[in-house]
Amino acid sequence: MITRSMLAAASLAALIAAAPGAATAQGTIRIGMTAADIPLTHGQPDQGFEGNRFTGIPLYNALVEWDLTRGDRATPLRPGLALSWEVDAADRTKWVFRLRPGVKFHDGSDFNADAVVWNVRKVLDREAPQFDPRQVGVTATRMPTLRRAEKIDDLTVALYTAEPDSLLPINLTNLFMASPKHWEAKRAGAASAEAAWNAFAADPSGTGPFRMARFVPRERAEYVRNDAYWGDKAKADRIVLLPIPEANARTAALLSGQVDWIEAPAPDAVPQLRARGMRIESNTQPHVWPWQPCFVEGSPLADVRVRKAINLGIDREGLKTLLGGLMVPAIGTVQPGHPWWGNPSFRIRHDPAEARRLLAEAGYGPQRPLTIKVQISASGSGQMQPLPMNEFVQQNLKEIGVNVEFDVIEWNALFTNWRRGCRDASARGAHAINVSFAAMDPFFAMVRFWDSKMAPPTSNNWGFFSDPRFDAMVAEARQAFDPAARDAALAKLHAAGVDEALFIWIAHDVSPRAMSPRVRGFVQPQSWFVDLTLPYIQ
Amino acid sequence: MADGAASAKIGAAKPAGTAAAAELAVQAREAALKSQGYWAGVWKRLRRDPVTIACAAILLAMLAAIVFAPLIAPHDPYQGSMLRRLRPVGTPNHPLGTDELGRDMLTRLIFGGRLSWFMGITPVFLAFVIGTGLGVLAGYAGGGVNMLIMRTTDVFYAFPSVLLAVAISGALGAGTVNAILSLTLVFIPPVIRVAESVTTGVRNLDFVDAARASGAGAFTIIRVHILGNVLGPIFVYATSLVSVSMILASGLSFLGLGVTPPEPEWGLMLNTLRTAIYVNPTVAMLPGLCIFATSICFNLLSDGLRQAMDVRA
Amino acid sequence: MLTYLIRRVLYAIPIALSVGLVCFMLVHIAPGDPINAIVPADAPQELVDQIRRDYGLDKPLPIQFGIWLGRVVLGDLGTSLATGRPVWSDLSVAIVNTLRLAVTAALIGFVLGCVLGGLAGSFQGTVIDKLAVGLAVTGVSVPHYWLGMVMVILFSVTLNWLPAMGAGPGGSSDWAWDWQHVQHLILPAVTLSVIPMGIVTRTVRGIVAEILNQDFIQTLRGKGLTQRGIFLHVVKNAAPNTIAVIGLQLGYLMGGSILVETVFSWPGTGLLLNNAIFQRDLPVLQATILVLAMFFVALNLIVDLVQTALDPRIKRA
Repeated sequence: MITRSMLAAASLAALIAAAPGAATAQGTIRIGMTAADIPLTHGQPDQGFEGNRFTGIPLYNALVEWDLTRGDRATPLRPGLALSWEVDAADRTKWVFRLRPGVKFHDGSDFNADAVVWNVRKVLDREAPQFDPRQVGVTATRMPTLRRAEKIDDLTVALYTAEPDSLLPINLTNLFMASPKHWEAKRAGAASAEAAWNAFAADPSGTGPFRMARFVPRERAEYVRNDAYWGDKAKADRIVLLPIPEANARTAALLSGQVDWIEAPAPDAVPQLRARGMRIESNTQPHVWPWQPCFVEGSPLADVRVRKAINLGIDREGLKTLLGGLMVPAIGTVQPGHPWWGNPSFRIRHDPAEARRLLAEAGYGPQRPLTIKVQISASGSGQMQPLPMNEFVQQNLKEIGVNVEFDVIEWNALFTNWRRGCRDASARGAHAINVSFAAMDPFFAMVRFWDSKMAPPTSNNWGFFSDPRFDAMVAEARQAFDPAARDAALAKLHAAGVDEALFIWIAHDVSPRAMSPRVRGFVQPQSWFVDLTLPYIQ
Repeated sequence: MADGAASAKIGAAKPAGTAAAAELAVQAREAALKSQGYWAGVWKRLRRDPVTIACAAILLAMLAAIVFAPLIAPHDPYQGSMLRRLRPVGTPNHPLGTDELGRDMLTRLIFGGRLSWFMGITPVFLAFVIGTGLGVLAGYAGGGVNMLIMRTTDVFYAFPSVLLAVAISGALGAGTVNAILSLTLVFIPPVIRVAESVTTGVRNLDFVDAARASGAGAFTIIRVHILGNVLGPIFVYATSLVSVSMILASGLSFLGLGVTPPEPEWGLMLNTLRTAIYVNPTVAMLPGLCIFATSICFNLLSDGLRQAMDVRA
Repeated sequence: MLTYLIRRVLYAIPIALSVGLVCFMLVHIAPGDPINAIVPADAPQELVDQIRRDYGLDKPLPIQFGIWLGRVVLGDLGTSLATGRPVWSDLSVAIVNTLRLAVTAALIGFVLGCVLGGLAGSFQGTVIDKLAVGLAVTGVSVPHYWLGMVMVILFSVTLNWLPAMGAGPGGSSDWAWDWQHVQHLILPAVTLSVIPMGIVTRTVRGIVAEILNQDFIQTLRGKGLTQRGIFLHVVKNAAPNTIAVIGLQLGYLMGGSILVETVFSWPGTGLLLNNAIFQRDLPVLQATILVLAMFFVALNLIVDLVQTALDPRIKRA
């Protein structure tokens, strides 16, 4: 029999359930990402580091990992699936990794040296059945010196590089270990290796702290805690990822309670977010938001005076106002005080008069105005607020007599073009490209841009910069296996890079995130990544 | 949205008997007089329609503002100061506030009107010219030419307009020229259909046969008899297309396919001001209001014209 | 009439083929080498060569079209450049989502339009008429993506009555017609319905006014026909044209939902198209446009047939 109180309770429950975005379970964190689609989930995510952040690290592990548990210091490395590693004293191209025992993939199979070799071959060995050309781009470009892996025993594996490279362990944070057995099971039921990887992406198996519970392409990915994880178990029960590329839609989703956490809120919305009780998390980041110039003949930015002039023409403090203070002006890849700063003599500041003088010296002026074309995106991982920011810089440069045209394309396309170079048709005649990058390790911060061997398709030297002096400095850093010596070599490299104005440095992001007050335990490290095992819903 | 053909009203020219050149001249003069009478009637009816007058006045005022933009705009549309960003309506020196880069909204709206109107009117105008030409040709020539033109039109009619505009712009890439090109292609088919149907209607009348029999060339016949009757309905139809074109053009800019920054254009401004909704919603709404006002005025004007020209015999 | 029907159906075939041709050409009018439009960025040279052979890109255009058409007919709509998944798997989900949205919007527009148009036509010249017409004109003049933004600010952010985006708490894959899901449909559907509402209102008003003004209605009234009888008579006469209009509007909604879907992140064909354009994912772009256009061709055909069946008096060429 239905009593009146039952009816009342039922209607109350219905009302509560009907409240938009009511979380369906305790301990479910719903996250709004800036990507337009779920980053690839087969082990090597696309969509830049936002991909690694949300579909790499939570589902998988790498041999070496970042320690993301604290935000008060620069993020160090820590053992991941490898307990220790060292370079062979006799042959410095050989690294030996001792693997963590007792680790199982989500599908139950064992993690061992065979799995490591298999994963190296998936991007480096064309003859391997698991070779996936689609995964090569994001992976190989981040570890260009790696050549092959060899099993020594079940828990020991050797990795070989083309030349001595002290940076290899850092690079390996990008190679995630996917389950070979699980893939082979998919391959048995698929028409091709490509179809197998697609099936694997829909039902992934890694060793990470979360398992995929549900995957709706383009709409959502749901993770559930991996209770059999080898490390510290996650506090949250479930994580839901939603792609919301539009800053306004993300902000509206948070304010209306549809999500608990959004990446990169619209800076103009921050005051209202705070007024509604949302928390804004941010921290210093090893992040650079630049224009990367094209150095090939015919590009106006091949002239160092033009590059310096453009650097001097930008009002970084004004840009900071545009972003509501959520930015640090960039006058180099790292900040003064960093071990790699090196004390360059070219002081980057806002000096329009000096900028005009340099431009005149380079032959540009009212009679012969300079027009440059920059390829940018409308959104994306680490791109901050690209349209207003770029428009602001465009306005700054107009004041020193430089006309800027934009070629606006989608983030993943821009990110792909970054690997193709300014000579490629995809650049569409752009003289500079606006792709933000992570600077937490020497390879990422400088080597991949300033080493002539890192030109496309090897890595991200998009502008084909080539200078033997810089190649020598990079080699010196690569071969310095002693940390202090390496830091000194990198400082020398950095100072030289700033003096040659090899980038148009504009901003450092502070990675703002907006969260509901119910999200507890979150730590924002000085890194592009976060540890999703720490937060939970109150 | 492009709804059906406008009714084709043919002038009061009456068929005549066998035609000598003089007869033809007399008829042409009569037709001209009668159509003068027709147009006078249209004008009289329009004058008595307050809504249409009001819309026409508003549009003319907008047009004047746009044309004289450099003279009347208080500031530079590209100059802004970060310290003055997103000021509200009513700020001294910035009556309509400032945008996200500190540029004066009133100035940006006036200059934005230039591009928005240009993107709205140019495709319709081009479609009007090209579509009328092809439609009249199809209607007059008949037979194989008609089949070719009309069937090709049918193929493009198979695409919903937004889809076609987005598809062509998407393939070609962003930019004002590409957007105008794609919008023109979207509007040509409806104009062709209207032009062809009107032309077919007129061409079969006796007086045209008579003119032909008397040796008048095709061009003369078209010019004297057909165009006069055809242009009216097409013009009315075209005015109703302007509002659609403007909304589509600003929609393309909203998606990032049309005008690129820093050019002021209402659709693009709507796009870049989206995030300002949390700080200053009124300013963020202004470009949308402009599009709406222009669009509704063109629609009402078009309705008024159609009513005035739609004489019930 | 049967000959007309058969001819009409047959006629749709060359139209469909030509539509296919236009879609095919889209890849080729895009700037750059078409191979870049269908092969992922980092593909090794062997893959590039193989795709070039598979698609016949080194052959003359007509043969390429033939190959492409053959694949399409067999159901192979290509592979997404961005995700590597077959296009059809994402497209089939998106079509269903857009259908839900478009049909709901068309229904709302139709019902509101009929009511407003009926009122306006019945009370010509009065305030009711002017109000109804005013609403209709507003509907077709307002930039609907802007309206969508306004609705989100009002109903989601400020009032917190309805969600701001998406197609349901579990994504669109577990759609059900319960409040949990339908609340996500309301704002986008209402936003999308304003244009059809405006057009249907104007159409219905015109028809109703014309019918009611006819002399024989007075005669009928004189003979004692009730209001209800007149109402039925009006409906019967107005139906063919109105159905034709709303049918076509449904087609426009399916094809033109991109702006609303972008504002609301509704996972339909419009959003798919938007992403495909910016990712330069031409296989997805091509396939989506092809399917939507085909749908429109089919819809046009059905509308023509239904209209002719309902009212054979309509002259046909």
